[in-house]
Amino acid sequence: MSMEDYDFLFKIVLIGNAGVGKTCLVRRFTQGLFPPGQGATIGVDFMIKTVEINGEKVKLQIWDTAGQERFRSITQSYYRSANALILTYDITCEESFRCLPEWLREIEQYASNKVITVLVGNKIDLAERREVSQQRAEEFSEAQDMYYLETSAKESDNVEKLFLDLACRLISEARQNTLVNNVSSPLPGEGKSISYLTCCNFN
Amino acid sequence: MADSLPTEFDVIIIGTGLPESILAAACSRSGQRVLHVDSKSYYGGNWASFNFSGLLSWLKEYQQNNDTGEENSAAWQDMIHNTEEAIPLQRKDETIQHIEVFCYASENMDENTEEVNSFQENLSSASNTLPEPLDSTCLSKAAHSSNLSSYEMPDKDDSKSKGETSAELTDAEETLEKEKNCGDKTCIETVSDEDKDENKPLVEDNTDLPKKSRIAYSQIVKEGRRFNIDLISKLLYSQGLLIDLLIKSNVSRYAEFKNVTRILSFREGKIEQVPCSRADVFNSKELTMIEKRMLMKFLTFCLDYEQHPDEYQAFVQSSFSEYLKTKKLTPNLQHYILHSISMTSESSCTTLDGLKATKKFLQCLGRFGNTPFLFPLYGQGEIPQCFCRMCAVFGGIYCLRHKIQCLVIDKESRRCNAVIDHLGQRISAKYFIVEDSYLSEETCSNIHYKHISRAVLITDQSVLKIDSDQQISILTVPPVEPATCAVRVTELCSSSMTCMKDTYLVHLTCSSSKTAKEDLEPVVKMLFTPYTEADTDEGELKKPRILWALYFNMRDSSGVSRTSYKGLPSNVYVCSGPDCALGNDHAVKQAETLFQEIFPGEEFCPPPPNPEDIIFDCEDKQPESSITNVNEPSEESQTLENPEEHLEN
Repeated sequence: MSMEDYDFLFKIVLIGNAGVGKTCLVRRFTQGLFPPGQGATIGVDFMIKTVEINGEKVKLQIWDTAGQERFRSITQSYYRSANALILTYDITCEESFRCLPEWLREIEQYASNKVITVLVGNKIDLAERREVSQQRAEEFSEAQDMYYLETSAKESDNVEKLFLDLACRLISEARQNTLVNNVSSPLPGEGKSISYLTCCNFN
Repeated sequence: MADSLPTEFDVIIIGTGLPESILAAACSRSGQRVLHVDSKSYYGGNWASFNFSGLLSWLKEYQQNNDTGEENSAAWQDMIHNTEEAIPLQRKDETIQHIEVFCYASENMDENTEEVNSFQENLSSASNTLPEPLDSTCLSKAAHSSNLSSYEMPDKDDSKSKGETSAELTDAEETLEKEKNCGDKTCIETVSDEDKDENKPLVEDNTDLPKKSRIAYSQIVKEGRRFNIDLISKLLYSQGLLIDLLIKSNVSRYAEFKNVTRILSFREGKIEQVPCSRADVFNSKELTMIEKRMLMKFLTFCLDYEQHPDEYQAFVQSSFSEYLKTKKLTPNLQHYILHSISMTSESSCTTLDGLKATKKFLQCLGRFGNTPFLFPLYGQGEIPQCFCRMCAVFGGIYCLRHKIQCLVIDKESRRCNAVIDHLGQRISAKYFIVEDSYLSEETCSNIHYKHISRAVLITDQSVLKIDSDQQISILTVPPVEPATCAVRVTELCSSSMTCMKDTYLVHLTCSSSKTAKEDLEPVVKMLFTPYTEADTDEGELKKPRILWALYFNMRDSSGVSRTSYKGLPSNVYVCSGPDCALGNDHAVKQAETLFQEIFPGEEFCPPPPNPEDIIFDCEDKQPESSITNVNEPSEESQTLENPEEHLEN
């Protein structure tokens, strides 16, 4: 019924303090734009970009926080069914780094335990104002078993790499899972989204 | 994150329960600037779901009388102008009463639990920020004490205990140590088993020997995040207002659902699966050939009973159960129809209501699956959050842990102009929507509330075991005595993402006549047995064992009329807490009615533009419905089958 124009679909979710550049990262990657422009995100739930990796079409559905992080009020349901999380902080803002454990706790509570988490230090174009050293961040991400990358949404440094590397990891993970899943009994998360179910009904 | 809040909005919504959240989405969607706040640290109010440690924290909050004190609230009196007056809002939540907790699973403090705690410690030591109270895996005393707090109404004199919350957070290990004593009997019984199984993954063990799969309390704690325990137990009618709204507004893309797989009935001490679809009826082993025909004939009639008034006209005055007796149905079938299909066990239910309920049930059949119901993965508590997300996507601002001290009323116009929050900030708006539990005693002094009796059980097996252990079942237990009411039982399996592997989460609900325990315990005893007494092997007939149980009463403000609230200005609108019904129609209707009242002529939650239509990417794109899963749903139950097809011939 649905014409699948892709081989894989992954849901990637961005989290991190307000103002660290989450939306800019998404916009830069999906649209090549910077800055994203005021108020432009109103009504946009997630952004889509289809990339090709080793001949396979991978559709990335990238979700932003919709501003709910401003007062630490992100809904738990935001984390559900995410395949990957991009935990972002601002290298020029110590506070955004110090909040990381809080974010990890939310991930631990609400995200799937199979989720891949990438730690991203954004705004390396502002290197002269750096407050968090690369080494500290690397140590932290290692201790928490996360991948780590520094980016600049403004200069487009590492942005493409961030999402493409993530897509690669997700593909290999998905392959492994299908192997494992053949053995294990009823899988959790076999729920369906209603809109998919009903798309046939309206025809 | 010390971001400051704007001070002017169009709509301020206080409370994040389902009706408020739907309203928030609707208002934001139609271009209003929305501020949505909740005094709690979680979404949903009494519609929330918690993981296990979250539930323990919730219990603890009520145990400590839920008094947050006044010391951290800025004075608001000076912010009120001469021409204004204030309507203070409630400080504590009085909607939950008679909480009682029982733990039957044996204690088993193993290293795993400590690991969880040390992980938490690592996290918090990596930063200077303190963990949120809700997140800390503090095992409160509440978990074990067999009778944690049976207070009737929170005692007002206790308000001195304010602000002790953090001081009283007990160390998890210390508490567990203490608790070992209260579970004496259990410990002795299980020591030998546990020693043997110490290092084996218990959950993997699916052999017939019950002793091997013993689940200890510490496992529940350790796997606590696997649980999503609903405070109010509801299901979605597949043709109900909520499903329609979710689809229409596209909010459904934020959630995933599973079919309820079985409708059960309880008759003469036995639990049976009720056949509802045509295939079910014909495959049923419980029914005779003649019964099958009778049932099909009656159900087919119910689908368009309005067309055959002669069939029931003479019985409009009588009860549905009396009517069923005249329809050439065996007692067995009458029971199925009355209790499990129409779910109108009350003797007061009239023939017409019964027929209507039966028709609704049948119409919902087959839209998504073999039963009329859907259950949201991760629990009902996801649904309000999904609407909140929609509100936020359209610019709504969200603040949990944000208390509103009072509404500010202009004396002359008798309209509410603003609120003052716990930071002493004055925030103005044109419209105010307040959940009932935030209103003060004075505002509600005329109101006599109904209550809902609730029980939550964690059990070790299904009430009706069949080849697949992943079932979501609903069972209506008819009134035990004529004066009591029917009890609705929902049993959730682990693939509904609401409980850990090898356990079941059971919700019991009825409207209260006494305390929750008094109302529900007779049914619990009929269906289950405490974990500790379970070693007598009765083979197949063995009842599921209860590992952990919680009882509480919840206030039901759904029937309260707007005019009963004293002194509320006309631009303050009130939403009620959850009602006792199985579906969510009340909340949706309430939200839509209020929305139309506030913004006449505006469309209620129209579909948002599809992100895939707005976003331009270089690849060729095709508009399609949003899909949230990599592994796509199977063919199963995708089409809306005509219910008649299930029934005819």
